[in-house]
Amino acid sequence: MDFPILSILVIVPLVGALLTLFMGGARAPKAKFIAAAFSAVTLVLAVYLLTIKPEDLADLTENYVWFKVSGVVKMNIIFQIDGLSILMVFLTALLVFLVVLFSWHEENNANYYHSLLLAMEVGLMGVYMAADYFLFYIMWEVTLIPMFFLISWYGGPRRHYSAIKFFIYTHVASVIMMIGIFIVVFSAHDGSHAVSFAFADVAANSALSEFMQIFVFGLLFFGFAVKMPVPPFHTWLPDAHVEAPTGGSVLLAGVMLKMGSYGIIRICLNQDIFSLAFGFWQPVMIGLGLFAMVYGAYACIAQNDLKKMVAYSSISHMGMVLVGMGCMSEIGIQFAIFQMFAHGIISGVLFMVCGIAGHNFGTRDMRLLGGMAGKFPVYATFMMFGFMASLGLPGLMGFIAEFGLLYGLWTYLAAHSLEWLIVFGLLDMMLTAGYYLWAMQKTLFGKLTDKIDLEHCHDIAKNEIAVLAVLCGLIALFGIMPSVAMDFITPYSSVLGPALEALL
Amino acid sequence: MFESLADKVLDLTGEVAYIIPQAIIIVAALLAPLLYFLTKNGKIPAIVSFILAVGAACVCLGYMHTKTYGTAFGLFEFNAFSGLMMCLFLAVAGLTIFVSPVHSETTKHQGEYYALIMAATAGMMFAVASNSLIGIFVSVELVSITSYATVALKKNDPRASEAAVKYLLIGAFSTALTLYGMSMIYGALGTITLSELGYRFSEVGVNWVVLMGSVALIAGYGFKIAAVPFHSWAPDVYEGASTPVSGFLATASKKMGFAVLFKIFFALFIFAQAIQYQPIQYIFAIIAAITMTVGNMVAISQTNIKRMLAYSSIAQAGYIAIALAVMSQYAVTGAIFHMFTHVVMKGGAFVIVAALITAGLGENISDYKGLAKRAPLVAAAMMLCLFSLAGIPPLAGFTSKFVLFSSAIYVNGEVVTEWLWLILIAVLNSAMSLYYYARVVKTMYIEEGESTEKLVISKVFMVAIALCVIGIIVLGVYPQPLLRLCRTAAIALLGF
Repeated sequence: MDFPILSILVIVPLVGALLTLFMGGARAPKAKFIAAAFSAVTLVLAVYLLTIKPEDLADLTENYVWFKVSGVVKMNIIFQIDGLSILMVFLTALLVFLVVLFSWHEENNANYYHSLLLAMEVGLMGVYMAADYFLFYIMWEVTLIPMFFLISWYGGPRRHYSAIKFFIYTHVASVIMMIGIFIVVFSAHDGSHAVSFAFADVAANSALSEFMQIFVFGLLFFGFAVKMPVPPFHTWLPDAHVEAPTGGSVLLAGVMLKMGSYGIIRICLNQDIFSLAFGFWQPVMIGLGLFAMVYGAYACIAQNDLKKMVAYSSISHMGMVLVGMGCMSEIGIQFAIFQMFAHGIISGVLFMVCGIAGHNFGTRDMRLLGGMAGKFPVYATFMMFGFMASLGLPGLMGFIAEFGLLYGLWTYLAAHSLEWLIVFGLLDMMLTAGYYLWAMQKTLFGKLTDKIDLEHCHDIAKNEIAVLAVLCGLIALFGIMPSVAMDFITPYSSVLGPALEALL
Repeated sequence: MFESLADKVLDLTGEVAYIIPQAIIIVAALLAPLLYFLTKNGKIPAIVSFILAVGAACVCLGYMHTKTYGTAFGLFEFNAFSGLMMCLFLAVAGLTIFVSPVHSETTKHQGEYYALIMAATAGMMFAVASNSLIGIFVSVELVSITSYATVALKKNDPRASEAAVKYLLIGAFSTALTLYGMSMIYGALGTITLSELGYRFSEVGVNWVVLMGSVALIAGYGFKIAAVPFHSWAPDVYEGASTPVSGFLATASKKMGFAVLFKIFFALFIFAQAIQYQPIQYIFAIIAAITMTVGNMVAISQTNIKRMLAYSSIAQAGYIAIALAVMSQYAVTGAIFHMFTHVVMKGGAFVIVAALITAGLGENISDYKGLAKRAPLVAAAMMLCLFSLAGIPPLAGFTSKFVLFSSAIYVNGEVVTEWLWLILIAVLNSAMSLYYYARVVKTMYIEEGESTEKLVISKVFMVAIALCVIGIIVLGVYPQPLLRLCRTAAIALLGF
């Protein structure tokens, strides 16, 4: 470990967040340059990580002792990166940088806005790289406060309610997760030395009874499921999304929801700790996942607000991730991770498109829009591209993920003689195609609307085009060549998947 | 260098050395009215008291650094635990005195005011140092009586008088209970020396008289720590008293109550712990659960910031009481650590309230609307204090709660499920408390106030607030040095 690149990935945005925080008053308009510079450096470092061979990633691990309590308990700062986290780290760095560019014209207290974005990045990077339960939990909670302020300062009309609801709902989930962490960590000691919170130390010594495994898995799963979110614990999400500013929504859907699914793979699906709990929880995860898929898609159809529709579609797509994880097979895990990555990029496009509608046209209400394609062709192209990617058009990223996940689901169902359940998977695909096509028909095509003041509508700005073009380019790239991303994922999933399969 | 200095002090003074910190504070208490009488300037006694408090704290730290531990006259013991607690009391007293001269609610009778604060501090220091029941009782009385007077000193406010009378009556009742409990324990065990209590108790065995005496003691000192159901005085007193005094009572006086409970009950049950003396542990666990739940639930409906902070400090007392239920070294370490973090976060919050009152703002939460624009730094500091109280990482309150809560699952080297229910209640409470803390943050940052005029905050207040904020961040991010001291203190207290 010559160059502590992983800590630097956390420290760079932290420094940027502090710098921009104190750039109030007349210097506020310059904050965006600082934010862009710091997030660009982070992105460059994250891209550098992608160039390292997967088998060499373990060499980057950094390990420091943070503090000890009473000689009984040891907290560490351990950063590590592997096939599960590397794409998430890249996604975080990418989205934060693009969001900074996308919000280039944000003028209302711009320095705080950028400071909050960078603070989010600190927490997210920390979550995805932490290899210590204590550090993981801290970073998990650190993401809450910036998002709370992003929603409550820069959000829509009901932002106060949504921000508080988001804050408390997810905080309750995390404290319950904390109890789970306590039990996992403290049960994994051999009495000879201080209890360590490090993932590796805990996994090496874990000894929970079957009942406790099932119970603790449940506590942790609840904490992660609220974040994903899995219905019936999803009600904070539509509110938070609808009221959040565009940049906040992109980060919320793009990387913050992934914290939940990441946590499930990283912490719950740990064959050293919960080997006896998988049998109990697998059907629950598949069932909840299928329910989330169909429920989310069904709820989308009823929405008039474009952004709320996209928010529910996130629930549906994260349900798919849950199904993939629930398969507990190599293909399920592999495509769950791929879907996390794909949804991160696609939902970025979707929320930016919705944000532009709200900002440039003054409304996101589909009943008021119509025929926008004729007037704003560039905007319409991006919107169609995003929607098509999300509904799983072959050749784009979303298709690969959905295809793989459905295949994984089918394998699971066939093995358990539950083939008829695939109907829900197909129903979800139909509904998804339905609501997206319907939404496009209502907003982009048909007669040009006379319900909004078209004089004051303005076209998509240059910086927005640039950002959307980058994301759409990535969607097409990974759609045609998924192996580029799969090469990062496979080393991880090909170890975890068979290990899980062997236990079931 | 320190060692030779400590040796010299010991040579010169003998065992008096072990009460030098208290002696310094008593000198301050005597000097304050004299200086005020001579100069008629409130700042002089404040400065002198502050300097002497800092000096006494330095002496304590020096003794702890050189491990100069011992007992004066067989009555007052200076060890790692009492030394650390003295530092805590002196820090709170220092903070209170530091902001008092510039605070608008501070009484005109400043000589008496500083004398009373110093005397109360001396009482707390004697209480944690005492090694007999009577010593503890007398020291606690010193604290109580001076506290009544300090509250009543805010003379022209009827709320303060009401609070003082209520405090006095309830305090007198609790004193009686305490003494009754002590007499029962003395009657059953035949000793008042703490170090002999445990031994005698293990000889006598489970004894209803001791149990009843313990319950009376819990009730008596329960008033001091404002544990539910003995908490009703706290909101009125904190609301009625001058704000720095509220902070002083909420942080120092309450911690003394805990320190005394720790001392007595660990001394009593130190051998009993081997036989799992559960009735007392369960009493504490139930008190802890009820205290935190009631404190948090009632805090939600408060509209006055001082009352809200009062209920929140009742809830915090509930968290600390977990250590009394669990009775392990790890738990006590966490409890002492939480006392310190509570000083910076709750003390910080009270100092901020005092600063805002001085700047002309009201005490209602609705008066804080738009504060982020009127006083951005103070609002940010308040936000940090409140989020720390709610236990949001990486602030101090999170670290200490983490240690405290985890101690109830990991007892003496193994995972126990006995206290799982208590921890479940505790974390749910912790989550619930976020609601009312976040509401204040929302009021400050999001709601528009009627006035947008900048508030002028005195530099003295800013320094005090900055110290608390630094404490909150440092104790959250780098708790190791203080945790090590807390652990040493816990070992000194428990004897293992």
